[in-house]
Amino acid sequence: MRIFNRLIISLAIAFGIINVLLAFLGQDDISVYFIVNAIAYLIITLLYVYLNPRAKSALNGLSAIIFAAFLVVVTMEVIEILK
Amino acid sequence: MKNPYKILGIILSVAGAIMAPLFYFFFASVPLTAVALSSIILGLASFFLASARPYISPEASQILLKAGMENTAALLEEIGIRNKAIYLPAKMRNGYPQAIIPVKEDCNIKKIRDKLPGRLIVRYGPDADDMAIAVTTPGSINLEMLESPPGPNAYEIEAAIGYILTGLLDIADGVKVDMTEARVNIDVRNAKMAYEEIWYYYCLGSPIASITAAVSSEALQKPVRILEEKYHKGKYHITLEVLT
Repeated sequence: MRIFNRLIISLAIAFGIINVLLAFLGQDDISVYFIVNAIAYLIITLLYVYLNPRAKSALNGLSAIIFAAFLVVVTMEVIEILK
Repeated sequence: MKNPYKILGIILSVAGAIMAPLFYFFFASVPLTAVALSSIILGLASFFLASARPYISPEASQILLKAGMENTAALLEEIGIRNKAIYLPAKMRNGYPQAIIPVKEDCNIKKIRDKLPGRLIVRYGPDADDMAIAVTTPGSINLEMLESPPGPNAYEIEAAIGYILTGLLDIADGVKVDMTEARVNIDVRNAKMAYEEIWYYYCLGSPIASITAAVSSEALQKPVRILEEKYHKGKYHITLEVLT
């Protein structure tokens, strides 16, 4: 299952870099961390086109949940700005 | 629960779910909370991937593959055929891609009729000795796993072979396909299955070469023969001859 290992390692590295970078830049808003991590997750899983159909559909389910949470966070941010 | 992805998924998700509120409310640390959130996402991804693992173990699959290969090899040895197999597209074998091993050494491909009967021993030409053994190869079965048949160009053949070898079977890391008029050159990186000097591999090619030949034959809609197969430290170089 080397392709699964590669996917998990890629995600771990991407999340690690994003969190360290945002912390280093002094970011103090948890929604920003979540939005950037969610985008990284969606991009990386999209790049793994060679995954088998069962793995793809399983990850698509998780992508839908993360995307929904991403939309909620973005909407809340927009409402905050409009206020 | 032996699935390591499920175990990793549960550990990461539970740890993340416990640590996130702790870091946010007690330690008031946003970066650490973000790490906990990332851990939840990573854990869920690992947990979801666990369900995509095959139901039967790789060892069981290997036994089944070996049993099938040894039966075919025994049949070929018994008849004394040592000719290279010709991989035929599905349209030439009653809608099911297979390979034929001609009994005669100098098989004239032009003699092959458009559609061969779906039997073990087939007559492909008008002469009495135009006989061949038709067998199902690992490549033939894998073609059913493709979402759509590949087109007749190097890019689509490469994508289809890569999808089967890397995504579905996980027996290689990457594929490169280069095509000329009558040849298809395929390089496979980090192949898990080594080449063996056995009768079966000589006639039908290794399972990796068999998959590449079956996919190329289906993509080009032409019979294909494995001309050469070289294996060195996980790297395969396969040359296919497109027969016209």
